[in-house]
Amino acid sequence: MKSIFLNYLNSMSSFFWITAIIMIITISIVVFSEAYGLNFVSTSFVKILGKTLCLCIVALAMDLVWGYCGILSLGHFAFFGLGGYMIGMWLMFERTKSIVIESTQNNILPLTHNEINEAIGTQIFGVVGGAEIPMIWIFADTLSIHLLLVLFVPGILAFIFGWLAFRSRVNGVYLSILTQAMTLGLSLYLFQNDSGLRGNNGLSGLQNIPNFDNITQAELSIWFLIASSLTLVVTYFICNLVVKSKLGNVIKGIRDNETRIRFLGYKVESYKLFVFVITAIISGIAGALYYPQAGIINPAELAPIASIYLAVWVAIGGRGSLYGAVIGAAFVSLSSSYFTGGQIPNIDFGVFTFKWVDWWVVILGLSFVITTLYAPKGIGGLVEIMFRKKQL
Amino acid sequence: MSVLLEVNGINVTFDGFKAINNLSLSISNNELRAIIGPNGAGKTTFMDIVTGKTKPDSGTILWGQKNSSLLRMNEAQIVELGISRKFQKPTLIETQTVFENLLLSLKKSRNPIATLFYKMSPDDEKEITNIAVEVNLIENIGSLAGQLSHGQKQWLEIGMLLAQKPNLLLIDEPAAGMTYPERKKTVNLLKKLSKNQSIIVVEHDMEFIKSLECRVTVLHEGTVIAEGSLDYVSQNKKVIDVYLGR
Repeated sequence: MKSIFLNYLNSMSSFFWITAIIMIITISIVVFSEAYGLNFVSTSFVKILGKTLCLCIVALAMDLVWGYCGILSLGHFAFFGLGGYMIGMWLMFERTKSIVIESTQNNILPLTHNEINEAIGTQIFGVVGGAEIPMIWIFADTLSIHLLLVLFVPGILAFIFGWLAFRSRVNGVYLSILTQAMTLGLSLYLFQNDSGLRGNNGLSGLQNIPNFDNITQAELSIWFLIASSLTLVVTYFICNLVVKSKLGNVIKGIRDNETRIRFLGYKVESYKLFVFVITAIISGIAGALYYPQAGIINPAELAPIASIYLAVWVAIGGRGSLYGAVIGAAFVSLSSSYFTGGQIPNIDFGVFTFKWVDWWVVILGLSFVITTLYAPKGIGGLVEIMFRKKQL
Repeated sequence: MSVLLEVNGINVTFDGFKAINNLSLSISNNELRAIIGPNGAGKTTFMDIVTGKTKPDSGTILWGQKNSSLLRMNEAQIVELGISRKFQKPTLIETQTVFENLLLSLKKSRNPIATLFYKMSPDDEKEITNIAVEVNLIENIGSLAGQLSHGQKQWLEIGMLLAQKPNLLLIDEPAAGMTYPERKKTVNLLKKLSKNQSIIVVEHDMEFIKSLECRVTVLHEGTVIAEGSLDYVSQNKKVIDVYLGR
């Protein structure tokens, strides 16, 4: 009995640690920021950190679905992208609308509703050779609906897909391939000009938040950083609750011995579907926070490779431990942007120049192989070993 | 005694091989029944059919007083009716503790939302502890199921059956990997349980079957060739042929 209580305490302690670390980072960034503090940290760095926190959120979702439930989904970045698209539509529409209205302020006659819509249509869809606002933009003027769409579009897609796949008892590699096909299909569809989402141009100018024109990017970046870290903490808390509940035992059981769980009378399909949909919604929320910081979203973001990277982060960080997923996403995505950002000079060997941009993928791949072979629990597992030794 | 499970004219073919051939069998309430037969006689396939793992080509399986058909139900629904199964090879959640394995087996709502908000009551805890005592695993209650010995795993799986409080237990080779005293204990437990539940035991070990002192069904090539007490069936000509080779 005592050990169960201790386990519970340990599990909560990881939540308190993660919260403390995230809070310290966020507060110190605010203190040192351009906007509200000592002006040591550049706005672009604040944005990179804010985006990294969003990637940590989607990594938590991936860990829940893969590390705990054993479903290797190669589609969660598609849900992330869909969340981004949903908020991006509102951002772009409102922004364009305010520009249109502003530019015609000196006109003698104010524009009619139709004329405004026509102007917005030309502005947004001119690049794909259209002027009409497609049907799917019908709610683009209403923030509340688009906030709901951030939850519902990934959620419903995940529900339909999951229902079909799990009901037919598609498992393992086959399921991974199916999720990947879904991602590829979605991104190919979005690449088309008549998809209604500006084809390969994607949505841009998302860093400008409508009605907050007088607030600088430096300030906005801090707000988004705070919002992202709060969301990460809340998501961590929820994931922790799920994992430590009896439902957590059931989904870990599904991962380790699906037949046993089935013959204990649990409807394995419902559990998988539940986890799949919940994590898709979490991914959507993360995407909706990420893309206003990135400023642009295009279909390439939804390509299967992004979802594979997500799996790599979680594997390197340590699947089956929530903090592992957070560490992995933060560590790998920050070092990715460091090594491919061109900040470190290439190494010249005379005959051959070692370009970090080219070789980073190889390094990442190698570290993935090494973690899989020698540290299956990833960085999180190493942390665990360190703490265990201290306790002994 | 009223009939709990009635299996009628079941046929199953795997790639042209007739695993079950016109099998009929009925189990009464609170009956202890042993099923024996040589390898490939269809014993495990029979259990697969009753639990919904394998769908038969033809035949009917009726359950309980309402005579509801099991063939239209999925595994989870069949468990809900009160049919639980112990596999031939111990099948546990090896990465979780004995306690957690029993917790998952307790007869509680299997709905995802209910399990998410499930809070363990003192009664549940007591029930789990009682079962652990009954199957001799109270000292191992905090250890991972994967670390148990083979015999202990068998016991844990029996404990998991008890936790589900089923009306019908299907037990596939319970004695495998058990020491003599453990077997004796299993026999006593099964006899005790059969006062309130129906039990079907599949076993190779004749000594074990004999000590159960129950009705025996002999399967061969997917069909029933004899039924009765062990003494009766072991004098049956067909049974002797099958067991001693034709």
